[in-house]
Amino acid sequence: MLAYLIKRLLLGVVIVFAALLTVFCLLHLMPGDPVSIALGTRATPEIQAQYAEKMHLNDPLIVQFLIFAGQALTGDLGNDVFSNRAVSVMVFEQLPYTVILALSSITWAILVGIPLGCLSAIRPNSWLDRILGLISVGTIAIPSFLVSIWALLLFAITLRWLPVIGAGEIGDPLDQATHLILPSFAVGLGWVGYIARLARASMLEVMNENYVRAAWAFGLKSNTVIYRYALKVAVLPTITMIGIGFGHLLSGTVFAEIIFARPGIGKLIFDMVMSRNFPVVQGAVMVTAAMYVITTLVADLMVAWLDPRVRESL
Amino acid sequence: MKNFDEKRREFLQVASALGMSAALGGYSIQTNAEGHRVLNARSHLKLASLDPGYMVGGSEITIQWALMPRLANFTFEGGALGWAPSDFVSHLSQPDGSHIDYTLKPGLQWSNGYGELTSDDVKYSFERMLESEWKGDWSALDHVEVKDKYSGTLVLNKAFAPIWALALLSGTGTLVCKKATEEVGGKYTVDVPATCGPYVMDWIPKQKVTLTHNPLWTGPKPYFDKINYISIDAPEAAELAYEAGEVDCTKILAKTHVRWMKSPPPNTKLHVVGALQYMWMGMNVDHPKLKDIRVRQAIQHAVDVDSIIQGAYEGASIRSHGMVCPGLPGQRKESPVDYNPGKAKALLSEAGVSGLSLVLKTLNVQERVLAAQIIQANLGAVGISVKVIPLDSGPFWNMGQESKGDEWKDLQIWLMRYGGSPDPHSMAQWFVKDQVGIWNWERWSDPEYEDLYIKGQLETDPAKRSAIYVRMQEIMENTGAYVWIGHEPEVFAHRSNLAPMFAPSGEEDFARFTAA
Repeated sequence: MLAYLIKRLLLGVVIVFAALLTVFCLLHLMPGDPVSIALGTRATPEIQAQYAEKMHLNDPLIVQFLIFAGQALTGDLGNDVFSNRAVSVMVFEQLPYTVILALSSITWAILVGIPLGCLSAIRPNSWLDRILGLISVGTIAIPSFLVSIWALLLFAITLRWLPVIGAGEIGDPLDQATHLILPSFAVGLGWVGYIARLARASMLEVMNENYVRAAWAFGLKSNTVIYRYALKVAVLPTITMIGIGFGHLLSGTVFAEIIFARPGIGKLIFDMVMSRNFPVVQGAVMVTAAMYVITTLVADLMVAWLDPRVRESL
Repeated sequence: MKNFDEKRREFLQVASALGMSAALGGYSIQTNAEGHRVLNARSHLKLASLDPGYMVGGSEITIQWALMPRLANFTFEGGALGWAPSDFVSHLSQPDGSHIDYTLKPGLQWSNGYGELTSDDVKYSFERMLESEWKGDWSALDHVEVKDKYSGTLVLNKAFAPIWALALLSGTGTLVCKKATEEVGGKYTVDVPATCGPYVMDWIPKQKVTLTHNPLWTGPKPYFDKINYISIDAPEAAELAYEAGEVDCTKILAKTHVRWMKSPPPNTKLHVVGALQYMWMGMNVDHPKLKDIRVRQAIQHAVDVDSIIQGAYEGASIRSHGMVCPGLPGQRKESPVDYNPGKAKALLSEAGVSGLSLVLKTLNVQERVLAAQIIQANLGAVGISVKVIPLDSGPFWNMGQESKGDEWKDLQIWLMRYGGSPDPHSMAQWFVKDQVGIWNWERWSDPEYEDLYIKGQLETDPAKRSAIYVRMQEIMENTGAYVWIGHEPEVFAHRSNLAPMFAPSGEEDFARFTAA
């Protein structure tokens, strides 16, 4: 187990490094001169030169990358070139908002998706299964930004039940919770469908396993067979999927952050890419990549904890 | 303790206000539970620096005006931009074109124990601008002469009429505390070392700036006790937030302006603060396909600008006849270049050109791509085939600049929009000879234009100045390199019981917001 953990952590470092390298290359492959985009028309040649020097833009690309990677290894993500604030401070200011949004979205998606999947699997090909299938596929197919706008128009503008923008007042948990409802509904809706379809497929497979058929043959109650024996095993692929999904949401909540004007890491990265603020983009991507690695690792460890077969194979 | 009659009257006032609001279905500015007047306004807040020398602009200027001193306020008497002494000065005058005298009010205190606002702060603030990122706005300043603790004179190196609009009335005219700024190394970003204005700020990054009364402020008390300046990047999201009652004042899109003019949200007023953007289709006079002026003139006559205004901007943009924007001296109200496809065909035939194909480049923005498609159809109708290439901002802003590669050599026609300060000089500066290959992508130059450019800076008589800029625009149009399109207005929506004060470039002056 310890060896597995060490192996995964080392692999995680490689993944973070690869993500950083990819983002670094993509940023520099983007067309347009970062100095002109960042400074606009007012910048004189001297100011442009100062900016380029500050951003190390005159150094070869490999040197630029090594400077950033070297600083990152010591925990220093550098400073924002405009405000001179520490990138780590900027990123960790925004991260909690994204984590809370991703967590609440995936949680409600699990709470709805898994029961829907189980219901479908218990009576496969019944009218209930077909309706639930339609709903699941529907939630996957509808773009989340559309859901966001519809939800906003209905609940915030027409009915005036829920707030539209922001993350709520700091120090007022109730206000923050009400500000979370619409964004997490919009972000989580697509995941309801994914999780329901995955849970259904896993359940169908498990329900045909010998040990489940034996349980039926022994005359155990259906609730015991389904929830105690079948679901416990069927949920394992879903947990892995949830781990990946949560990691994905750490940078995938950007549309909700823009539409609902919420702070968050996705919006931070988006804004900084648009203004070619390389240090902040690189720092934020590094942190999200690390979070992604940790999340998938935790999901795998949970699977191992729940499934002795996986645990013994580690 | 208030007597029963007073309480009953207050109760009836509040109840009727609430009843009226409910009946109308709209929102209005309210006081909070503590009896404070609170304003929620939308900001497009990219707060990177509040230092007037190193700011980006926009919402940063709004915050500077709330926190920091300045010599002059903008005014709009009779619809024309003017200036008036600010609350920080007891005297402000311009005895001649190159001198501006000021006297500060005594007793205005900087925060954090930095003492009184003095003439040394004025000298330091303006002279440091000459080394800053915004030194272009202050290029006419020679030095500041300090007479005594509170008074002095700004000495310009020449008479420079745009000094008010470009510098003193803009964000770069903000004063800083000499001692505090020097202590932090002569430059700061978002941690302002000392403030001296009607408000103090509290900032939650990427969320909002909260402005509350400055306890040290001895000037006139602003109407609003608290202003939540809420960061909403997407303009559509801001409009929804306005409709939901979460902000009381927001900038709206031009297309929303058209819609809300017909059917505004309840209890709403729309306020056009200015139209300092100018959009045109440019032509590279050095390009072999466009070297013949008759070809360029044919294109000028072939484009139906009114269709672009209606088709791409839903009628929300103001028809343009030159670079000078509405409300400024020198704005042209009409132009002899009209939409005349017959004349365009005749000019092409006279030039012996047939089967011409051109590439039209534009920023990949919905309205501009639509405009490009209308131009494509217009030019197609006179026998010019056009390929439209929408571009991301990165490559777009490089394509005419010689320092960014060779793309300028292939540049043919493009849609362009610049923004400016409320003075025609700020528009004219990009088309001088020195700007060829930098921001003058049309690549023409004209000695008369150069001469008038200087005269426009020196002339202080409004009528003569206006004539100078009208002539400059005629020269531009005569090059055949411009099809003027429109000036997109800056429009705000706000609650009917709010009387706001905006700069023509769209910044809010919160200290001058009151109830209507």
